[in-house]
Amino acid sequence: MDFVQTTFASFISLIPVTLAQSLILGFVVLGIMIPFRMLSFPDLTSEGAFPLGGCVCGVLLAAGASPLTAIAVALIAGFAAGCCTAFIHLRFRIHTLLAGILMMTMLYSVNLRIMGKSNLSVFGAPTVFDWVPFTQPGFPASKIVAVGLLSLAVFVLLNIYFKTERGTAVRAVGANPDMAEAQGINVWAATIGGVGLAGAFSALSGAVMVQSQGFADVNMGLGILINGLAALMIGEAIVGKQSVLRQIAAPFVGAIVYYQLVSLCLAAGMPPPDLKLATGLFVLAMLALPSLRRSRGPAPAREAFRE
Amino acid sequence: MLEIRSAQKTFYRGQADEKVALDGLNLKLGTGEFGVVIGSNGAGKSSMLNAVSGSLSLDSGQILVNGDDVSGLPVHKRAMRLARVFQDPMKGTAASMTVAENMLLADLRSKKRSLRPGLTNTRIATYRERLSLLGLGLENRLDTRVELLSGGQRQSLSLIMAVGGSPDLLLLDEHTAALDPRTADIVMAATVRAVEQLKLTTLMVTHNMQHAVDFGHRVIMLDAGRVRLEIAGDEKANITVPDLIGHFAVKTDRMLLAS
Repeated sequence: MDFVQTTFASFISLIPVTLAQSLILGFVVLGIMIPFRMLSFPDLTSEGAFPLGGCVCGVLLAAGASPLTAIAVALIAGFAAGCCTAFIHLRFRIHTLLAGILMMTMLYSVNLRIMGKSNLSVFGAPTVFDWVPFTQPGFPASKIVAVGLLSLAVFVLLNIYFKTERGTAVRAVGANPDMAEAQGINVWAATIGGVGLAGAFSALSGAVMVQSQGFADVNMGLGILINGLAALMIGEAIVGKQSVLRQIAAPFVGAIVYYQLVSLCLAAGMPPPDLKLATGLFVLAMLALPSLRRSRGPAPAREAFRE
Repeated sequence: MLEIRSAQKTFYRGQADEKVALDGLNLKLGTGEFGVVIGSNGAGKSSMLNAVSGSLSLDSGQILVNGDDVSGLPVHKRAMRLARVFQDPMKGTAASMTVAENMLLADLRSKKRSLRPGLTNTRIATYRERLSLLGLGLENRLDTRVELLSGGQRQSLSLIMAVGGSPDLLLLDEHTAALDPRTADIVMAATVRAVEQLKLTTLMVTHNMQHAVDFGHRVIMLDAGRVRLEIAGDEKANITVPDLIGHFAVKTDRMLLAS
């Protein structure tokens, strides 16, 4: 009984901090969802684009740039990284996953070059959270309000965009590239733009994270991809993915629920090093579930990740 | 109008399995003309269609649509002028998207896509009307994902999508071959109706000799990458299936002699 009580108490006290963190990481989940679901382009760039955004933002903040400028430049850097991955895949016909691995590996060096060292403290530099009225800067409330509003705006805009003439065309590229091309859609432009947009969201997340935690680190992206994938699976299980609205809501909802679950596990005394194993097993289970349900015989020879 | 001028395409050039797909192929199809292409496997029918649509680039030769040279244009640019129905019903539609969304994609084939809302009420009403002409009940399933439709329904949808914007050229790639006979008849009837109503310049590839006899203004027989035989006018009007098969037989004998 005592165990349950202490667990519960520490979980409750962690809720605001976790919520702020999960809202920030919602953008990475979005950056994973867009290529994966909208373009059928399983993409690993986010593992490199997230710290890229963080490093760019950190360096600019340290140089005295305004927090908004820092975020804007991080966005552009992330967009470029995503475009490169898509280009490598399209031009050289390299598998999307391999293109992503190449990109995130190369980005590690790029990130180190940008910062000049493996971590950089920007504690005390101005952040976007300073501008939220009626809250004390540095406390979770200001972060929740700022990032919450940003998430809402991105959610509404994306929902409108993917229902426009052009947004429908981008979704068609993911659904059937041959058909899209035959309907006059430029598959290259849609893929490069879409994966670029996803990279921009991952970098945005990294930039805001750096402003939130007060330091940038080249290793801050380690494992972000599998966390994001787990969050996406949870989100899709909760809100579904049958419509554009649900598909775009899934990353945000999933991020919030996933990080609260992680927080609950940690509060219950799970050693943090075991977290990646647990997350990996969870993602595996979610991906394996459909094939287990479909047949009790040998698993069909299809890649679950591609579905 | 479609004109193919001395189209040449060789696969695996210089290798042991070198294959000449198109060997100086010439073909001219007048505006509003309905040409039916027949020929045995490997005669170059698909290569010709792919060369016209842009998914196969020629070694040499030209493709002209309404007098403009489109040889250098990629598939998505040629789509402004031509529409295509594939043999495989899965290929011509976006399975995970709804019927209405598929109609929208085809509707904007020759237009510039903007950031305005895609599926407006006006458009949905238009699509409903167009689909009702098929008589398959698709007009009541606009919000259904295409993957839930039958092969025949999907192929009918592909056809309506293709003829929608009155393309300069309609390419039909054995588009009834994967369907059961009854559905094939429905799709074929809808094709002929649309082609006649809209006076579309059409190139249809088929293995169905009856279709080649019944439909179109001209039969074009391909062999070894070039046009072997063209039958038009009165001769086309009076030809029978045995006659056509006879031509195949002659060709086969020649091939035997040559080998």
